[in-house]
Amino acid sequence: MDVDTVRNVARIARLRLSPEEERQFAQDLEEVLAYMAVLDEAPSGGEHDFNPVPVHDVLREDVEARDVDADGLRDSMDIYQDLVRGPRLS
Amino acid sequence: MSCLPTADKLRDLNERYLAFSEISPSLEEAQGYPPPFHFSAKDNLCAKGFQARAGSRILEGYRPPFDATPVAKLRAAGGVLLGKTNMDEFGFGTFCTNSGYGIPRNPFDLERACGGSSGGAAAAACMLDGHIALGVSTGGSISCPASFCGVFGLTPTYGRISRYGLIDYGNSLDKVGLLVRRSEDLRRFLPIISGADPKDPTSCAQPPLRLERKSIRTVAVPKQALQNLSPEVEEGFEHALGRLEEQGVEIMQVDMPSLRFALSAYYVLATSEASTNLARYCGMRFGVRGGSISQHYNDFFTEVRSEHFGREAKRRILLGTYARMVGYRDRYYMKALSVRQLVISEYQNVFGRSDLVLTPTMPFVAPRFSEIEKMRPLEAYQADFLTVPPNLAGLPHLSLPCGYADALPMGMQFVAPHWEEGRLLDMAESWSKGFQFRFPEVCR
Repeated sequence: MDVDTVRNVARIARLRLSPEEERQFAQDLEEVLAYMAVLDEAPSGGEHDFNPVPVHDVLREDVEARDVDADGLRDSMDIYQDLVRGPRLS
Repeated sequence: MSCLPTADKLRDLNERYLAFSEISPSLEEAQGYPPPFHFSAKDNLCAKGFQARAGSRILEGYRPPFDATPVAKLRAAGGVLLGKTNMDEFGFGTFCTNSGYGIPRNPFDLERACGGSSGGAAAAACMLDGHIALGVSTGGSISCPASFCGVFGLTPTYGRISRYGLIDYGNSLDKVGLLVRRSEDLRRFLPIISGADPKDPTSCAQPPLRLERKSIRTVAVPKQALQNLSPEVEEGFEHALGRLEEQGVEIMQVDMPSLRFALSAYYVLATSEASTNLARYCGMRFGVRGGSISQHYNDFFTEVRSEHFGREAKRRILLGTYARMVGYRDRYYMKALSVRQLVISEYQNVFGRSDLVLTPTMPFVAPRFSEIEKMRPLEAYQADFLTVPPNLAGLPHLSLPCGYADALPMGMQFVAPHWEEGRLLDMAESWSKGFQFRFPEVCR
């Protein structure tokens, strides 16, 4: 993985790296990916699931309930006139 | 009944060992009555009255308004929560040296690591007699520190214990478990914290715990697990196998060729899942507020993440983001999912012939901090080659102390079929009979 790739991946992941970090991560990940090339030898196309054990589907109709205290949550946010404040969208 | 340390005593102890990232301010009131037991929660498990920072600076000040299910269950059983235990940031580490809140010290030797990522939990279980430490394992984060700190570390089947209130690392891999000094505490507390919880769908498919006692007759040792061990672990493990045979357990060596793919598959899946899970820490819903909100949201999010994530977190986010990118997904992520099934099938095949699979837990005893500093990231990842396979496969496993080298503990790790935690408890109890456990006298 070269420095340009690291920079590109970092941008997608919303990370800004120093030049030193870019160099170091490129070196570290190059070595890790070289090791992971062993996966090329593993048989592919076999069965797979996204979990190691079967998981039940627990979808159900919505039920109105109070889970956590909304006021408590609001008090921990940056609030302006009862609305949560965030950065500019454009 | 275990002794409950005073708050002052606990704080003194913690100044030296840094096992806890936060200690209950109201412990003294808890002393007013003798609680049935005391426990701690790894810092990625939410608990009312405490911060939940998962070892990360990005969660500084986060106070969840609810208890994680296993915490709630232990409180309901009468336990007093002493505090939150220190950990590698979001679970990212083999040695517990990647915490934003200091590095916990091994109770056997202050110059050595506790193991990661539940390092604080293992140190607490080691130092405090009768303590019940809740840990979490994604790829070995209970077994490894249990081995380095000389305690029992039980990681149940994926889904056995609700993950509600757990700060996710890798959703298909995370498991809550126990670190304790005594095998009988596993039998007592596993049923308390287990069970279906509608708030975590992965816990709802589980069969009941089967805890009737049976003796373990055969144990399989994969030959792939006997490579790259330090001389003292090799010798200690040989000695332990001899002791098992004396106890009437038949040891058979087996070939598990898929294990050579397990470490790579694990790091692909774990970092892929982590990189999506960590997207939420951007300073809005979660994560400390960063710079000016007059910035564009991209710059605002980037600033918070770049300033507050630690180095290993950034490394794993990069790796996981890369592995999921168009053009690489089939080569890494999809391949890793296939390997997981392959590893599960291979274990199932071996369980047709033996009750448990056994390996050493870690290839070496607790390393010195000076040795860890010299390790490259890949070398640290490779140290997980024995703990990763059962974690990848979601199989229950238990690390227990099997010997001591130069006064440092080492562990061996038993793996059982899915949902068969009972076999691990049986093994823990038979092994404990006559075994000379050693604990450092740091808390008198």
